Amino acid sequence: MELVKVNNLRKVFPKHKVTAVDGVSFSVNEGEVVGLVGESGCGKSTLGRSIIRLIHAEEGNVFYKGEDLLKLPRRKMRSMRRHLQMIFQDPYTSLDPRVRIGDILEEVFIIHENFSRGERRRKAEEALETVGLGASYLNRLPSDISGGERQRIGIARALATDPEFIICDEPVSSLDLSVQAQILNLLTDIQKRKNLAYLFISHDLGVIGAICDRVMVMNAGRLVETGTCENIFKDPKHEYTKRLLDAVR
Amino acid sequence: MALEIRGLRVSYNIEGRGIEVVRGLDLDINKGECVGLVGESGCGKSTVGLAITRLIPERKGSITAGNILLGDKDVLTLGPDGLRDVRRSKVSYVFQDPFSSLNPVFTVYDQLKEALPDKRNADEIISGTLESVGLSGIIGNKKIYPHELSGGMQQRVMIAMAIMPNPGLLILDEPTTALDVTVQNQILDLVARLKDEMKLSVLFISHDLRTVFRISDRVFVMYAGKIVEKGLKQNISLKPGHPYTVGLMDSMPSFERRKQKFNAIEGRAPLFSELPKGCKFYPRCKFRVDDCALREPGMEIVSGEDHVSRCIRIKEIALDGISKS
Repeated sequence: MELVKVNNLRKVFPKHKVTAVDGVSFSVNEGEVVGLVGESGCGKSTLGRSIIRLIHAEEGNVFYKGEDLLKLPRRKMRSMRRHLQMIFQDPYTSLDPRVRIGDILEEVFIIHENFSRGERRRKAEEALETVGLGASYLNRLPSDISGGERQRIGIARALATDPEFIICDEPVSSLDLSVQAQILNLLTDIQKRKNLAYLFISHDLGVIGAICDRVMVMNAGRLVETGTCENIFKDPKHEYTKRLLDAVR
Repeated sequence: MALEIRGLRVSYNIEGRGIEVVRGLDLDINKGECVGLVGESGCGKSTVGLAITRLIPERKGSITAGNILLGDKDVLTLGPDGLRDVRRSKVSYVFQDPFSSLNPVFTVYDQLKEALPDKRNADEIISGTLESVGLSGIIGNKKIYPHELSGGMQQRVMIAMAIMPNPGLLILDEPTTALDVTVQNQILDLVARLKDEMKLSVLFISHDLRTVFRISDRVFVMYAGKIVEKGLKQNISLKPGHPYTVGLMDSMPSFERRKQKFNAIEGRAPLFSELPKGCKFYPRCKFRVDDCALREPGMEIVSGEDHVSRCIRIKEIALDGISKS
């Protein structure tokens, strides 16, 4: 079943006269992992952020279960975000360095739930367990833990509200290859267990090929080729796709 | 030989005590050869790179033992003048992040000129170098600043600065990690071409086996401050001789093995302050037996004298590269 449908989305940065997202349409089904691949500056992150309104897109629609997110009042959009979450690239800058891990996770429940303090802490512990970490992390600061562990916290935070759709924006690009493998395993496990839908953004077709069902190739603000992983890898049509493929062979 | 490191030991001052992070390392690079040094974050590989020209700040740590021979000179015995000469014209570095390596308030041209030991004919040399690193588009443009260039172009500027003094040894420390994969390959191809044209010797430091295999003639795998495997690239990629190397190979994502779990190395690299006794990889190793914890293994032959590995079980276990499980 169709979960998210993006229709003719457009985002212009007028100051730089750049059309970062130029009339993009696609949809993501329930429990589906869709890869979005392209080089730096092709507009893939802007697209991801526009979907959950971290960036304001001028034109188009984003339907979540039939409801247009771009037309929702602000307050309603805020509570809607519990269903659509995001994991960011850089686990060093996406966690506040002065806030303890426990408080970072509890904050989610302050925003989205009406839990008592005890419940929040218990929920934070649960969130840590889902990503393979224990309660011993609650009192640590982001600077006390490794890059891979930080990205696990980013994932725990995104999962805390039980979303159905997660935008993963280059979640493994800043990690060592060995840690990248652990995090990709974790993301795949959780996806299967909870039947989540991912929009997985990356510049690396190797990573996308390893975990995605479908791929969308983006260049200069447009989707230039879309298809199943099988089709894109075995029989790429667009020149740009071929170039990206050469890079990982 | 372009570089020979023997028994290198480096300690960092951590919380008032000296913690050894390079624990007796041997490494050699032949003239005109590219050697890849691969390992996870925190294995000490960048420290090795920095030690070669004694760039480790004194308050942070010190080289406690070993020799670093560049040609006939031991860098560790050089006085200030000799050291300056080595840093100026014998060994060049390219670091991971080109944007923070370049100074944002000076033009690219000024920074290139600064890197030239001899300023005569500077314009001519700069133009020639920019041409050879694939930046002919900015030749003659003396007003361009680093932020006006893309990440890949910035890294080309760094490489131009590094090769201009015509160094014998070029050290690249994760030069492609901050770049897109497509740009990574362009930079790797550029380094390979320059290496051949200029007969450069290259030390290529990275956590990414894909890039290391693409560019290196020989590969050294580093774990917890020591080399655990070394050999020709083709030997290691076909028949890795250490469980850690296999783990690194299994971590490479690929379409061919899609929808399979990565056979990832569990856990993380150990802290230097709490290294296990015996084999340092023992706690994360899938092939461990009790004997592994007794003493740190020496180098065992895998296939021929040039391909060796620090694993006592290398004769009895079959490591077949990317495992199927």
